[in-house]
Amino acid sequence: MPASERWVHAAFATPDEAGAALDRLAHLGVSPSDIEVRSSIPLHDVSAPGTSPRSRVPLMAVVGGLLGGTAAFLLVSLSSQAYPLPTGGMPIVPLLPAGVITFEGMAIGAILCTVATVLVECGLPALGKAPGPLDAHIAAGQIVVAVRSSDLALADWALGALATSDG
Amino acid sequence: MADAVADGPAVAAREGAAGRGSPKEEALHRPLRGFRHGLVAGSLVTGALTGLLFYSWAYQVRNDIGAAGINRPVFWGFYITNFVFWIGISHAGTLISAILRVTGAEWRRPVTRCAEAITVFALSIGGLFPLIHLGRPWLFWFMIPVPNSRGLWPNFRSPLVWDMMAITTYLTGSVLYLFLPMIPDFAILRDRAAVESPGTVRARLYRVLAMGWRGTAQQWHSLEAGIRAMAVIIIPVAVSVHTIVSWDFAMTLQPMWHSTIFGPYFVAGAIYSGIAVLMVAMYVLRRGLHLEEYLTDKVFNNLGLMFVAFAVIWGYFTFAEHLTVWYGSEPSEMTVFWQRVSGEYGWVFWLMIVLNLVIPLAVLPFPKGRSALGTAVVGLGVLVGMWIERFLIVIGTLRFPRLDFTVGTYSPEWVEIGILIGSFGLFGLLYFLFVQAGPIISIWEVREGDHIVAHRLGEPEHVVRVVHAHDDPAPEATT
Amino acid sequence: MTRWGMVIDTDRCTGCGACVVACHAENNIQTVGEEQAARGRAMHWLRIERHYEGTFPDVRVRFTPVLCQHCESAPCEPVCPVYATYRTPEGLNAMVYNRCIGTRYCANNCPYTVRFFNWHAGEWPRPLERQLNPDVSVRPAGVMEKCTFCVQRIQDAQNVARDADREVRDGEIETACSQSCPARAIVFGDLEDPESQVARFARSERATHLLEDLGTEPSVVYLRGGE
Repeated sequence: MPASERWVHAAFATPDEAGAALDRLAHLGVSPSDIEVRSSIPLHDVSAPGTSPRSRVPLMAVVGGLLGGTAAFLLVSLSSQAYPLPTGGMPIVPLLPAGVITFEGMAIGAILCTVATVLVECGLPALGKAPGPLDAHIAAGQIVVAVRSSDLALADWALGALATSDG
Repeated sequence: MADAVADGPAVAAREGAAGRGSPKEEALHRPLRGFRHGLVAGSLVTGALTGLLFYSWAYQVRNDIGAAGINRPVFWGFYITNFVFWIGISHAGTLISAILRVTGAEWRRPVTRCAEAITVFALSIGGLFPLIHLGRPWLFWFMIPVPNSRGLWPNFRSPLVWDMMAITTYLTGSVLYLFLPMIPDFAILRDRAAVESPGTVRARLYRVLAMGWRGTAQQWHSLEAGIRAMAVIIIPVAVSVHTIVSWDFAMTLQPMWHSTIFGPYFVAGAIYSGIAVLMVAMYVLRRGLHLEEYLTDKVFNNLGLMFVAFAVIWGYFTFAEHLTVWYGSEPSEMTVFWQRVSGEYGWVFWLMIVLNLVIPLAVLPFPKGRSALGTAVVGLGVLVGMWIERFLIVIGTLRFPRLDFTVGTYSPEWVEIGILIGSFGLFGLLYFLFVQAGPIISIWEVREGDHIVAHRLGEPEHVVRVVHAHDDPAPEATT
Repeated sequence: MTRWGMVIDTDRCTGCGACVVACHAENNIQTVGEEQAARGRAMHWLRIERHYEGTFPDVRVRFTPVLCQHCESAPCEPVCPVYATYRTPEGLNAMVYNRCIGTRYCANNCPYTVRFFNWHAGEWPRPLERQLNPDVSVRPAGVMEKCTFCVQRIQDAQNVARDADREVRDGEIETACSQSCPARAIVFGDLEDPESQVARFARSERATHLLEDLGTEPSVVYLRGGE
């Protein structure tokens, strides 16, 4: 991190106060990539202006389902044919039972892909990162807004918060 | 407590630095601190019962499956009854946390995690029983589709293999569905432990479990999308799991088993028994951990109403099944039918009707009956009744095969009883340990619920114990 | 193509039980003892069912030896999760002891209740182990078993025929039960060979199957209604 730029963290008791601080930062022209909002609950009404988080989870869930279902069907049909043993007059590749297995394969594929996508998008696990200076405030239910700026005084003023810390 | 408005920011700063949320949240943190007598005692008692489970099982493995009371023609007994019973109980979590989440029912917030925990533990225990009941359990891996030197694969036509796929999928899904929403809670615990008890084992454990969660907007967006997707996926999985378990019976030609109604019948029964366990567990948690502010009377009331609905649904399916059999008057089926309702053990059937239908419908339609204690007691009765239902289905049919020269009886041996009791012990043990490891009520989801409510009412935020706490009346809608 | 089958004439069967004993001896079936038998764990691959017909003074006793029917559409086969039972190309319902993990699902789905489970391993205190048939394996505990149409005898006859460069002749293979029946009530052979004894009896007017309406298509034909 360039010596002239540091992160200023500020904790706010309510989302409204955090929103006001974000407005002040927007007026100052701070770019959204230099702002980070962190909280202990999802905040749909407060976000750094100009950002809209996206998630590929729905798409990946469908992709995972298709992959899992195909894999399951292939498992049933190929393994039954690999060592064909007739049972009860049923066909070697039983389509209705294969349907059951394919369904479960779709489900497990969708589940694993969803979870993998969530972990990748969240950047987890990220055990190497050091904890932030105001993390305890997040645990208390407050909202921490962090700004990266070379002008610490301005950042301080803009944030005008309960507690600030340089980090 | 100096909570004058002027001191607001200072108080907020102090509480924030200490990592402490609102006072009512302390009830959620208390079980996680140190060794609490009640929880430790509970863990030891259930641990002893778990020991009974594994001792009985070990005895049976050592002395052949013949140590159990099963015989010919009753080839399946307590173990399969318990299997169906425990898998049925696992539907508690899916109903509450998935269906209620998808339908946007806000009152589910305090209940989701204790329900999902029931699901994971009940599934794990249920999944043990197919191993326990095997004649040669060390060869169970023959059922797993892995390449091997014999070149043989499992028989995918068999409902037992469907069982294995379905339960594996459901267990994996449930564990992940339980764990994903716990990440932000572990982060809260991690950050608080960093202040209160840095360097302890607990602090390090929470640090690992939180996986580096930071609570950014992107992370929340992804996590919520993931939880929503999981909720939608896990509902059909749960339906399929108990349907497939019912197909263990329905795919046979046995009288009163070979019925197309079994799929929906078992799913409805599973949800019914799942709610029953949930009511009992919630009552115990509410009393034991003093969670009255979270597991409120309103939550019990709402679950009680669902309970009534499922009592009626169960009654409907049971009536439809028995009417169809009686009307068809097929000889092999009628033998089983008459033995079930009026044979030597006919009283068991009527006890089940009393526990599953009469008592719930006599008690729960009335608001007083839907109190915490009322629903828990009715729930306990339903648990026994649902176990009896599984028992009657398994043993009732097997005793009377089509060629009636081989009519049989069944009485369980001590290993079967020990394993049954021990399975409840194992469930209790897992639950006691879970309660001491992580918050049994989701801290962030309840906070989010309070935030949403406060927003809707246009009230000042009470997200944190600061500023306005004592001046304003506490908002009513904490559920 | 061969299809092994059996004809049992219930009009001839006297209920003597010689077939049951012969089956035990031939197939190393364990004697479970009085206590286990009282628990319903007796193992008689072939059992004699006794039914009374008519009312006094016109009572008749009908004896029906019941064994594995080796169904063409066997309900026991598809439910085994590990392929421990399947249909051989020659029409036998095979039981693979080494593969069986003991779920007992097959026994639950058999409408004839002809499957037997080894709840405990069989015991042959010395010198009784000398009576064991070396051509037949001794099953461990936890494994399912049932009538195999004396597959070891079928195999033996086929080996002899192959060495002699000819087909197996009708009547050359005698299962233990058919060999020991004093009333010649049990006949075994190839149902696909139209000249064989079993095929000819199977075409008789008296031919029936057990639980015909279930559609299991058994390979055992029962003759009844002769007088």
